[in-house]
Amino acid sequence: MSDLGFAAQLAEDLTPADLRLVLGVFRTDVQRLTGALSTAIAAADIVAFRRAAHGLAGAAGAVGAVRLEQACRQAMADAVPMAQALSEIDALAAGALDDLAVFLAKLDPSP
Amino acid sequence: MSDAGSSAGARVLVVEDTPTQAQLARALLAGLGHQVELVESAGAALAAARTWRPDAILLDIELPDYNGFELMQRLRAEGIETSVIVVTANASINTAVEAMRAGAVDFIVKPYAKARLSVTLANALEKRALVTQLATVKARLDRDQFFGFIGASTPMQAAYRTIESVSASKASVFITGESGTGKELAAEAVHRASPRAGRNFVALNCGAIPRDLLESEVFGHIRGAFTGASADREGAAKLADGGTLFLDEIGEMPLEMQVKLLRFVQTGTFSPVGSSRLEKVDVRFVCATNRDPMLEVQAGRFREDLYYRLYVVPVELPPLRARGEDVLMIARHFLTQFAREEGRGFQGFSAAAEHALATYGWPGNVRQLQNAVRNIVVLHDGDRVELDMIPRAVRRAPGADDKAPMAELVPAEMPDAPVAVARIVRPAVEPTDAAPGEPIVPLAVMERRLILAALRQTGQDVPRAAALLEINPSTVYRKLQSWRADGLLPAD
Repeated sequence: MSDLGFAAQLAEDLTPADLRLVLGVFRTDVQRLTGALSTAIAAADIVAFRRAAHGLAGAAGAVGAVRLEQACRQAMADAVPMAQALSEIDALAAGALDDLAVFLAKLDPSP
Repeated sequence: MSDAGSSAGARVLVVEDTPTQAQLARALLAGLGHQVELVESAGAALAAARTWRPDAILLDIELPDYNGFELMQRLRAEGIETSVIVVTANASINTAVEAMRAGAVDFIVKPYAKARLSVTLANALEKRALVTQLATVKARLDRDQFFGFIGASTPMQAAYRTIESVSASKASVFITGESGTGKELAAEAVHRASPRAGRNFVALNCGAIPRDLLESEVFGHIRGAFTGASADREGAAKLADGGTLFLDEIGEMPLEMQVKLLRFVQTGTFSPVGSSRLEKVDVRFVCATNRDPMLEVQAGRFREDLYYRLYVVPVELPPLRARGEDVLMIARHFLTQFAREEGRGFQGFSAAAEHALATYGWPGNVRQLQNAVRNIVVLHDGDRVELDMIPRAVRRAPGADDKAPMAELVPAEMPDAPVAVARIVRPAVEPTDAAPGEPIVPLAVMERRLILAALRQTGQDVPRAAALLEINPSTVYRKLQSWRADGLLPAD
């Protein structure tokens, strides 16, 4: 099961155009916020790290990417070192984006 | 402002700094038929709430400037009424309790489906509509001012509700109440609350106009219709076209005039005096009397058919003695007004003075109370009105049957008034020179006669008497005080 279980619910609730828009914004958010996490670690800026983790948790929560959201919330709570947290978040984010690509492909079978 | 009672078409402000969340909320809300505004910070939300006045706010708690709880506090502090739904990732009881304590009406847990959002929002909007309706009804029941009336007593609330209910209709209104209870004010309230408010309100005192002039006052006349009719003149009926015609003291109208009025009420048409030409107007009738109109019908002094034409919606104004706390509310209102007009420093009444006012019977009703407070303000000064400043008759004679205080201001018997009282519509023929052979009397005597006559004419209403005489009410009070001191008026 992908980490985008809630996306199926969104497909019922939204028009195809809105669904593409929301998932497109999610993709942008993931790329922007994982980048922000890396920058924060490089700068040893824990405040910026938590802020980016919070934003990514919210974005993941919105589309039902539960594992990614949980990892972000653990990172916000300093449950794991920042670098380790980023590693896990990166992996889960990549997985979520892959799932998203598959989901969107099913949504629109034309190349 | 959208209809807060409707669950569709509401204005919803989404306060969310995560773009995915914000776009998802926008798409879901738009799909539910709502208008949506997106903002990313608490400060932007406050600014949008001030100008856009959303029906509901979908609020994320963690925001970049200050949090959602503080935003709710600021909204409340600014009196911005809206339904706040907190959006949270945490479904714990603590979060719910904290959100509700802060003023949210509900909370919704992320991620939420369209159906969940729809139900939560509909409930919040319905609750808001109920709260708004409750506040409106409560304000109506508790109101202490209504189109110039001061008072929150139960019988006045009933009068306010009747006036409000009848205002949109064209139905004739019949106002009853003792002298001084505010019948003309009620008539004006009917007019001002009605769709006719932009047109004329024409008041005619049937009891103060000579019988032979009344028809001309109501219907107008053409040039040459009678001696002194040197030009065509419109009457009250024509002046009130599209508006309201108030016939005060309708019980004083002569029977022959009642026949003509009945025809006018039935057809909306009339002929000016001296003319055979019919004129049609659209007039709403409001009548008043201080007598029991049915008793007047039974006594043969008022036509039964006219009674049933005019007595469609009765409004009964209670006497002041039946209005409880209204006495002090009105007294304080007049004290503030007159102190400002007269340049006095009065801020209120002493407890003893208030007790005297509250326990007196006020047979002359609000008009008498108005005169008493004016009298106090003109003759005294200080921070507060003390018991010894209250007119003696009020101090010593509590009880509903006391008739003395009017005599304290002016004597009961006075010479006949020389002129008619008609507001807006002036008499057709104004008195000019003294009649030949009329004895010449000292000016001071004539002044006293005229002032006393004006007071009698207006039912001891000093401000109205002063207005007729085109002098300041203070002058009337000072003259009365001086004449009483000189023994020219009966002592109290």
